Amino acid sequence: MLRKLVVLGAILGALGLAGCGSNSPTGKVASSDARGTLLDNPPLRVASANAATFTAQLNSTPSGQQLLQLAGPPACGVDFYYIKYWTIGPDNSPQLASGALMVPTGTSAPCTGPRPIVLYAHGTATQSTYNIADISDTSNPAYTESAMVAAVFAAQGYIVVAPNYLGYDISTLGYHPFLDGAANATDMMDALGAARTALLSTFTPTTSDDGKLYVTGYSEGGYVAMATVKAMQAAGEAVTASAPSSGPYALEAFGDAIFFGQVNLGSTAFGPMTRSSYNHAYGNLHNTPAQVFSATYASGIDSLLPSPEPFASLVQSGKLPQTAFFDSAIPTSATGISAVDTAADQLLALPVSPPYTAAQAALFDTGFGNPYLINNSYRVEYVDDAVVNPDQAEMTLLDPTHPMLTSSNIALAATPAVGLRQDLKLNDMRNSGWAPQEPMLLCGGDQDPTVFFQNTQIMAAEWAPYVQGGLVSELDLNATPSGPFQALQAGFQLTYAGLATVDGPAAIASYHTTEAPFCMAAARGFFAQVP
Amino acid sequence: MHKKIVTLALGAAVSLAASGAYAGNAGPNDIRAGVYLVHFDAQAGDISGPYVPPGLNLHVDNVATLYLAYVRSLSTHFSLELTAGYPPLTKTEGRGPATLGSVPYNGKIISTARWFSPSLLLEYVFGDANSRLRPYVGVGVNYTMFFSRQSTAAGNAASGGPTSISLPSSVGPAATVGLSYEINDRWHVYGSYSIAQVNTKLTADTAGLQRTSEIHFWPNALVISAGYSF
Repeated sequence: MLRKLVVLGAILGALGLAGCGSNSPTGKVASSDARGTLLDNPPLRVASANAATFTAQLNSTPSGQQLLQLAGPPACGVDFYYIKYWTIGPDNSPQLASGALMVPTGTSAPCTGPRPIVLYAHGTATQSTYNIADISDTSNPAYTESAMVAAVFAAQGYIVVAPNYLGYDISTLGYHPFLDGAANATDMMDALGAARTALLSTFTPTTSDDGKLYVTGYSEGGYVAMATVKAMQAAGEAVTASAPSSGPYALEAFGDAIFFGQVNLGSTAFGPMTRSSYNHAYGNLHNTPAQVFSATYASGIDSLLPSPEPFASLVQSGKLPQTAFFDSAIPTSATGISAVDTAADQLLALPVSPPYTAAQAALFDTGFGNPYLINNSYRVEYVDDAVVNPDQAEMTLLDPTHPMLTSSNIALAATPAVGLRQDLKLNDMRNSGWAPQEPMLLCGGDQDPTVFFQNTQIMAAEWAPYVQGGLVSELDLNATPSGPFQALQAGFQLTYAGLATVDGPAAIASYHTTEAPFCMAAARGFFAQVP
Repeated sequence: MHKKIVTLALGAAVSLAASGAYAGNAGPNDIRAGVYLVHFDAQAGDISGPYVPPGLNLHVDNVATLYLAYVRSLSTHFSLELTAGYPPLTKTEGRGPATLGSVPYNGKIISTARWFSPSLLLEYVFGDANSRLRPYVGVGVNYTMFFSRQSTAAGNAASGGPTSISLPSSVGPAATVGLSYEINDRWHVYGSYSIAQVNTKLTADTAGLQRTSEIHFWPNALVISAGYSF
């Protein structure tokens, strides 16, 4: 028996099993959940495209071809990394979040070595599957924006950091801190910290941070970008320049405009996201959704957005109206105070042309219907408060004599009483009297039906001395082309005119998205002037 | 379950061995060594998981390795073979598009592994005990474990970062057919063809994200060996 065992042992020994069992090492997983900690290091490279393959990818679709024309042919390849990092939620709880790190590749000068970073904030997404790192999946709701950012910035030599935001992708927060400036800025700064760590362990570690930081974003991301500049300045962290675009910066005035009947496109998504965000953060927007939303839509609305389903599916299944934000049967104010009721009733009435253009009035009309999203009682409560505690900027804009917005007629409401107006004031970029210390470009279009250009105009008035001094620049893509961005202005106007020729008045629905690549290209041009 | 099967097979072997009868004059034990030419005949499902484009597949390269076996003759016609090859370095190639973006994929060695794959076979040996030439057939069980699993630099590039690879062990049926030729009482030469079924699931973990592919091998091997009886 012993002999048999020896024989068997000899065979097994000959088979060399003594050293078996090892596996190739994977990356490190962070054990800390401290803010800005990169979870997986090195991060996952999702895709790698050289300049030629990225050009080919963009050329494969009509929108990509347009983007190539605007952004120019890629000078660099782009490696797309998926980063997971720790940040905190509005309640200061540790939260796992994700985003993209786009690294320029190639051997030519602008593609390697120390490079500037663009910290990019994306626009509102209604789908929770949004993942701006997922350039390999054309069906991902982030694909278009991801390709745009890559083409405009990364393929031209900028390292791009773009968080997905809490509430999206792997985040388990359960809602998105929509237009919560402090929370959004925290997320951005933590994504930046994690990305700087990740940069040290990419496939091209020689491509490094040169210390210059540009902050930009579009739509909701324009707001987030501005909030980030504000927060980074307050924290003493350097921002080289910024370019918030088409963002709802003057939130209180914007909210008032909407409740006065200037219903913006997208309001039936923005409304529930705002309510959910602010109620989680501040708990002052009524405990039961039915106090804010009509019975048709109140059930489950607080956890509806962002949703795995596309917005169109939510509309189709009756969970949200397409555009009917308010009841087409106009309510009236009943405070019993004659002056308040009279003023409120005027503001509650459907906006008519003039003072708005016919196209705008037609657009606002689509914000009224039945079934509708917002309760009449809540709308009246809001408008009554806006009469008693007015936002001066909005009142100036409504003044039929059209006075210019100046720093003396754009004050926030002193003591708003309605919870939503308190929250909008708190998150309004006019709040706390700050101003950018480094160059800032504010890009937008004055007919934007989704995020009204008044947001940009109010901030320009708030920072008038800085505008005059050249630190803050305002760019209206719809203005008569002139100055350093005249080619982009002309290009936007030509593109939109082409859409209007095909779609007629319905082209207004594409206005906001059509602006995006032009503002992004303007941001790149602006950054190039601030080395 | 796998453990039970192996135990059962070993139990059967021991009970058969208790009969004490064996072929030849040298003794009941035979040690064999030779060359194992393994054709993996692997069929892998397309790789699935996050950030994986459609149509990515794998191919397992053929190998040649050292064949070693211990055979216990149980009677004139029955013997029990415990066989294994020296764990060969097996290379897995990417199959699919030439590049993933700008990263080469098709035909690139993306991972390597060694595998220890013993089989226990109960064999029926035809012919008279004194015949020089004796064909035999056998059936049994194969156990395969993978180790030294490595994602190559090309594999890491295709996967998007340092990647760990998991390949669970497998237990499956095995069969053989062969021919022995007696040189003298002590020495024989053998030629055989063996086949086994190995099912495993490749899981590649890159930065916490897992991509998988079900792999079904039918490793079939041509063996040329020499044996010494004692």
